[in-house]
This record gives sequence, C-alpha cells and structure tokens, in this order.
Amino acid sequence: MLLPAVVISSSHPEKVGKYNRARLRASVITACLSVCTPEGQAESTADAVCDDFEVWLRNKQEVTTRDIVIVSAKLLEKYHTEAAYIYEQRHIII
Amino acid sequence: MAKKYEFDYDLIVIGSGAGGSAAANIIASEGKRVAIIEADTFGGESPNWSDVPTKALLHAANLYDEAIHGAKFGLRSSTLGYNYPSIRAWKDLAVKRTGAGNNRDYYEKQGINTFNGAAHFISPNEITVNRRHLSASNFLIATGSHWMIPEITGIDKIKYLTPRTILEEIRPPKSLMIVGGGESGVEIAQLMATFGTKVYLAEKTERLLPKCDSEAGELLARILTEQKGVSVLTQSRVVSIEKEGLGKRVIISRAGVEKSVRVDEILIAAGRMPNVDLGLENAGVKYSPAGIEVNDFLQTNVKHIFAAGDVLGRNGLTHNAILESRVVANNILHRNKVAPDYSATPEIIFTNPGIAVVGLSEDDCIKRDLQINKAVAPLNIIARSNTSDFRDGFVKIITDKKGVILGATIVCPHAGEMIHELALAVKYGLTATQVANTPHAFLSWSEAIRVAAGNISI
Repeated sequence: MLLPAVVISSSHPEKVGKYNRARLRASVITACLSVCTPEGQAESTADAVCDDFEVWLRNKQEVTTRDIVIVSAKLLEKYHTEAAYIYEQRHIII
Repeated sequence: MAKKYEFDYDLIVIGSGAGGSAAANIIASEGKRVAIIEADTFGGESPNWSDVPTKALLHAANLYDEAIHGAKFGLRSSTLGYNYPSIRAWKDLAVKRTGAGNNRDYYEKQGINTFNGAAHFISPNEITVNRRHLSASNFLIATGSHWMIPEITGIDKIKYLTPRTILEEIRPPKSLMIVGGGESGVEIAQLMATFGTKVYLAEKTERLLPKCDSEAGELLARILTEQKGVSVLTQSRVVSIEKEGLGKRVIISRAGVEKSVRVDEILIAAGRMPNVDLGLENAGVKYSPAGIEVNDFLQTNVKHIFAAGDVLGRNGLTHNAILESRVVANNILHRNKVAPDYSATPEIIFTNPGIAVVGLSEDDCIKRDLQINKAVAPLNIIARSNTSDFRDGFVKIITDKKGVILGATIVCPHAGEMIHELALAVKYGLTATQVANTPHAFLSWSEAIRVAAGNISI
C-alpha cells in the first residue's frame, strides 16, 4: 500500500522523512515485550496497530512524529492497555 | 527589543461552515489577512448536506401531505402523485440559491485565500494543508462534526445511510429502519413516511426527542404512528444487522426481548461527533472526543487558537455556530472580550406539526432544583384549530415563582415562527402576565401563547 504521508520530526521540524511501517511495528513490539507479552502476541498486536494506523494515515499528507506516537498509543490501548502506557511514556521511563 | 514573528496570515479559519465563515468575513473586512481551509464542500454541512436540503425536501413533503388530505376541504386530490427526481432537483435548486453552498468564489472575492484539503497542525502557529505549510497569529477551529456510527454487530459489513447520504438516494426506500429518535431521526422519519416508505424508528430512551419536554416526544410519537404508519420503537437497542437478499435484517432488543425486522435500508442518526482529528496535540490544544475545551470567550487553552460551532460538542445548532463565529471575530479584533449568550436560543424541529423549544425545559428546571410554575394550552381550545382542522399540539410555558418566563415548548404548525416571541421574553426576562396582556391576533396560532401565558398562576 502506498502511503503518501511525510513525517516531520516534532523536535526538529526541519527533519522530514517517509512513514516507516517496520519502525512503528518494532517500537510497538518492544513496548509489548517490555510488559511480558508473549512474542507471538506482541507481533500480532503490532501488525493490528500498524494496520489501524495506516487507515488513519490514509487521508493525511503530512504528520509529525508526535502524531505517530499519540495515535499509535490510542490504537494500542484497544489491544493492550499496559503496553500502550509504556509505548507512550517510553522516553521518560528509565 | 523582542523579535516579532512574521506569519503568513492574521487568521486561519479551519472549516468554512457556519462556525467559520462569519469570523472569516468580519476579520477580512477589517483589512486583515485571512485564509479559510475546507476539507469537504465549501459552505459546510448546513447549506450543502443538512438544514437547507432537508428543509427543502420537507417543504415538498408537507405540500404533498396537505394536498392528499385535502378531500375533507372539498379538494379533489385522489390522483395526486409525485416525481422524486423532480423533488431532488428542487432540493438542489434550494441549495444552489442559498449562495452559501459550495461558495469558494465568494471568499476569494472578499480577499480571503481558500484552500481545499484537510488541515493538520504541526506546531501551535503552523498547519499543513496539501503539504503546504501556512502560519498565522490566530486560528479559528470550526471543523464541525460527523455522524457517529454506533457499535452494532455487522454494521461494518453492510451499506448504511446517514441523514446526509439519504438526500442523494434516487428514490425513497420501500422500508427504512432509522437508528436514533432525535431531531434528524424524526424529521427523516416523517419525510420518508410521507413519500410512502414504511419507517421503523428505534430510540434507546423511553421517548422520541429525549432532549425536549416529555409531552413533545410523546405527542410526536403518536402522530407518526397514527397518521404516518411509522413503527416507533422506544427503549429499543439495535443489536445487530446482517444482509438478507437485497435488504437487511435488523435485530432489536427491547426489555430483554429480541425481535427482528427486515428492511430495505438502514439510516444511522444516532448523534454527531466533533471533528477533532487535526493534530491538536501538536498545537497543545486540550480536547476530548466530545469536543474542544474552550473558556467563556471561546478561546482554547492555547491563547491564539479559538473554536466555534459543532466542534465544541455543544448542541450543534447552525444559528449558535454563527453567533459563536461572530463572538470569536470580536474577541480576536477587540480587547473587550465577549461571551456568547445561549439563554434564549430557539431550537426548531421541522416536522408537521413543528416543534420549537426555547430556554429551560421542565427536566432542566428539575435538575437545577428550581421552583417553577407551568401552564399548557392545548391547540384545540383556540379558534385557528377549527378553521385549519388541526388539533394535535400545545404551547407550554414555564416560569419561576415570580412569573418570569424561563422556557417554553411549542408543538404546532408554524411553531418555528411562533417561538421567537417567547425567545424575546426569555432573553429580556418578561413575565407571563406581560405576554398575556400583549394583544395576539384572532385566528392566529399565536393565540395559544396568550392562553398559556394567561393560565400561569403566580
């Protein structure tokens, strides 16, 4: 599926890139594994979140990295509440 | 000296409907640089997809209905029929004539830059639309709302209608299940039933129009059932929907008992949700799925970002959105900020008889623990009900203990025109006695207002 969205870095707006499904998937898997989710469940959850996220992204031309985190966390909450919390707070949780 | 930032515009309005257009025009007329962004059709929901087309269709339906019931007045109307494509053409003409529908050129002539696309905040002062970045010192979010789709099993697997899409149907369906007995639901129920559709109207609460006084919803349910053959299913929840041949089978749960109905089409009119998916987090604006949070001056928690109209998640009235838009224009231009006054905003449901409400309902007064007096004047006691041969309706007035009018409900032909007298009374604190002592013309429906006001005992 061709997603035209350009991703702008929230902290450095001059940095732009393309949406990367693999990167989003990996970050969701990491969040799931950090709350002791079985590996297979983590992968299927990440796939479901990526699919839902791409539905949201379909009519967007430009989004920020912050959008990706917020929207993915909301979508992840549907499948795994604890992982969603970890995913959203991962930069401030040591 | 502090650096002054240069922005592309003084104001960017997101949404060209009732909540956005007034502010854009007012601020542009003051010589400011204004841009307006619309994701859908310019003019917004009201002139293109809701108020104007629905009322144009209802006008045709009411004419047809009155004519086919004209035999009792000596009219020969037994062979009367209708041509639905012509009725749709009339609706399209009515939309075109408003001048507000699809009016992009109008804004350009006012010196307002227009953009067609979905706006998305990327920072508090910058948005992106069609990959073009625009900045402004002020923003007005007036993105409106969309029809909410309730969680019903199987709804994602079938084609359903909304009050917007049903206007584009080639012909009225043979049978229709309407989910939601609010204002839009009852208007469309009456519209389609008049054109011969068998309508089922499912409402979760115990009566139609749950936001109005109970008498209004109960009377309308009786009229729809007896005169239009509508099956009104109150306290009913649609559990699941599945495809069956060319139609759909709907399972309804009522008091724990499940029943099924086969219909040709399903219309979802179960309320509206604000359009808040525009990157508000990037601007730091506080919001919830129920709407954007604003203060009394319609300012969000980010000082230079305002919001107006349906996106606030309030009552979704077009005239309120226009009022809010004007308030925002004033609050951007002037230091003395003002707040919108909703105390006497009338709300009208364009059924036949019409329903009009202003001020507080009886339920509102009970919730606020207010001591009230009330009086109801049924239509059958006034002379006009005789000459028009129409008796189903009433005027209900609610006052405080001193007789000051707090609210009113009218169910009557031309209720939408009558309510403004009582709106004036609510806004300026008139008493029921003052209204009763004002002459009301003999043989006008407004005589019922005088009678109801006169019946208030202080």
